[in-house]
Amino acid sequence: MKLKIFTISLLLAGAACVSCIREEALNTEADIESCTLAGDVLNRDPVIENEKVTLYLKKTADLSDLAPEFTLTPGATISPASGTKLDFSSPQYYEVISEDGRWKKRYKVEATTSYNIPTLFQFEKVRTTKTAKGEYQIFYETDNSGKETIVWASGNSGYALTGAGSGADTYPTYQSNIGYRNKCLALTTRKTGKYGADMNMPIAAGNLFLGTFEVLNALTNPLKATKFGIPTDAVPSRIQGYYKYKAGETFYELDKSRPDKLKPVPDKTDIFNIYAVFYESTEDMKTLDGTNALAEDNPNIFAVARITDAKETDEWTEFDLPFVFRAGKTVDPVKLSEGKYSLAIVFSSSIDGDRFSGAPGSTLCVDEVTMEYRDE
Amino acid sequence: MKKYAIAVVLLVVSVCAATRTYAQEDRSDGIIRSLLLGLEYEVKAGVSIGGTSPLPLPQEIRKIEGYSPTFCFSIEGDVIKWFGEKQRWGFLFGLRLETKGMQTKAQTKNYSMEIFGDGGERIKGNWTGMVKTKYRSTFVSIPLVAAYKVNNRLRLNAGPYVSFKTSGDFSGHVYDGYLRENNPTGNKVQFEGDRIALYDFSDNLRTVQYGVQAGVNWKAFRHLTVSGDLMWGLNNIFKKDFETISFNMYPIYLNIGFGYAF
Repeated sequence: MKLKIFTISLLLAGAACVSCIREEALNTEADIESCTLAGDVLNRDPVIENEKVTLYLKKTADLSDLAPEFTLTPGATISPASGTKLDFSSPQYYEVISEDGRWKKRYKVEATTSYNIPTLFQFEKVRTTKTAKGEYQIFYETDNSGKETIVWASGNSGYALTGAGSGADTYPTYQSNIGYRNKCLALTTRKTGKYGADMNMPIAAGNLFLGTFEVLNALTNPLKATKFGIPTDAVPSRIQGYYKYKAGETFYELDKSRPDKLKPVPDKTDIFNIYAVFYESTEDMKTLDGTNALAEDNPNIFAVARITDAKETDEWTEFDLPFVFRAGKTVDPVKLSEGKYSLAIVFSSSIDGDRFSGAPGSTLCVDEVTMEYRDE
Repeated sequence: MKKYAIAVVLLVVSVCAATRTYAQEDRSDGIIRSLLLGLEYEVKAGVSIGGTSPLPLPQEIRKIEGYSPTFCFSIEGDVIKWFGEKQRWGFLFGLRLETKGMQTKAQTKNYSMEIFGDGGERIKGNWTGMVKTKYRSTFVSIPLVAAYKVNNRLRLNAGPYVSFKTSGDFSGHVYDGYLRENNPTGNKVQFEGDRIALYDFSDNLRTVQYGVQAGVNWKAFRHLTVSGDLMWGLNNIFKKDFETISFNMYPIYLNIGFGYAF
């Protein structure tokens, strides 16, 4: 037995020698983790995305004289340096280099004092983002001069994580050539493949909305990952546009006990959703998200426009939705001009897609959406 | 592969049974004749503990939070041919049926990974968080080692071995952490709770492995031996074209066995 003990200790000693935890490598990440501005100039918290920072400023702020300060991944450096005064009349670009010097990321930093949301959305413009296996599209709108006005958010970056998508039109949100006028928005509910199912997210509805998709929380809290709404200084009255819809063949519900996590629901037909919400952004509720965007008891919501006669159709069909104000909600003109209110517009190819119910293949096409605002 | 394994088991068992019949007659003519020729026979059974690990541990691994050797057994039949008048040096040839396995739980930082699903899914990125791994393979191994008799009771052996995998499982999941999509500057996504990503690299395990082993064999009684052998794999357990795990992994196991010497 002594021999056995001896050999075991010898082995353990040997194993300890070769399997020591080595010194930690230098950081490879190059993130802007936070952004602050001197003085009381910010109207909202900075919106920090992976390659973009958006600063919503008070109307009185001087865009040409801003010196944003950044905190970065430990050890990373930024150029121009944090605190450098720059003119933000047009977007500025920063480069962050990781601690180990091997990785760099370019950030677009945009500051705005104007809360004009365009009145016409045409879905003609997309840019593509490369993934490990293909690419997906991001929609944006431009004004008459070709200047970018807004960027639409979608769950495409989340779908990319499932590894199921390849070409742009295999993603849930993509551009189609057969629009009401020129190109249009197409949303298709899709299965998310093995890894999506492993994570109890077996399907993904196509969605497009004004706001931010926080991919960081896309898996842990998908309802909270969809941050609906961007600041507006006008009160919307109507949203109008055109749609086509084809429901997918089999409607499924999430069933965590099944290997593919999908339980077919016979005799149930999928339907889409289009809605818009005008709400007040407060400290407690800076933006709406999937958990509360349509809640009847949400005190921040002022008005909702929502499609009620959604139907399957292969003809372009008009929708014209009035914003219905909730009882006792009066818009404060001062807050309005300060950009304290927000507007969310949401399109989804499956009405219950946020709970992973829907029919794969359900496709909603939308085009030529116009917003009308009250004269105030 | 399974059929192959069964055939080998049957072969070993029948060899054991056959030699046992001889043994019962205690130093039957055959054994005595073998001894005169400098041949010795031994059968043994043992358990292995150890791990399959990158060497040295890559910097991406920050902490080993859990390790379980799992139950790994081996059975082996050996023939030793002694040389020379003093019969101090010899050559050992054997056939060993064995399993090697382990389970680990490690904390990683910036661990580069790429996984493929059956439906053509592909996820690539850098993982910071927990990785749980389960490894278990069965092999038919052939040790070809030199033996040295220190005295009548103690024998040392050392030399190479070659292993043929008959079945293999290398799988696990990642959880509690975050992925940077594609590379360290890509989208950051958190995994928590039941959000995990399963992986299975069983199909990427190499069939032929080789390594070196060294050990001692002690004759506790006339027929009963106790042995300890360290087996150190020298080639990566994965196929050459497998790049998901960016570092080579080597099996290192200690086998403790009890044997019957004829």
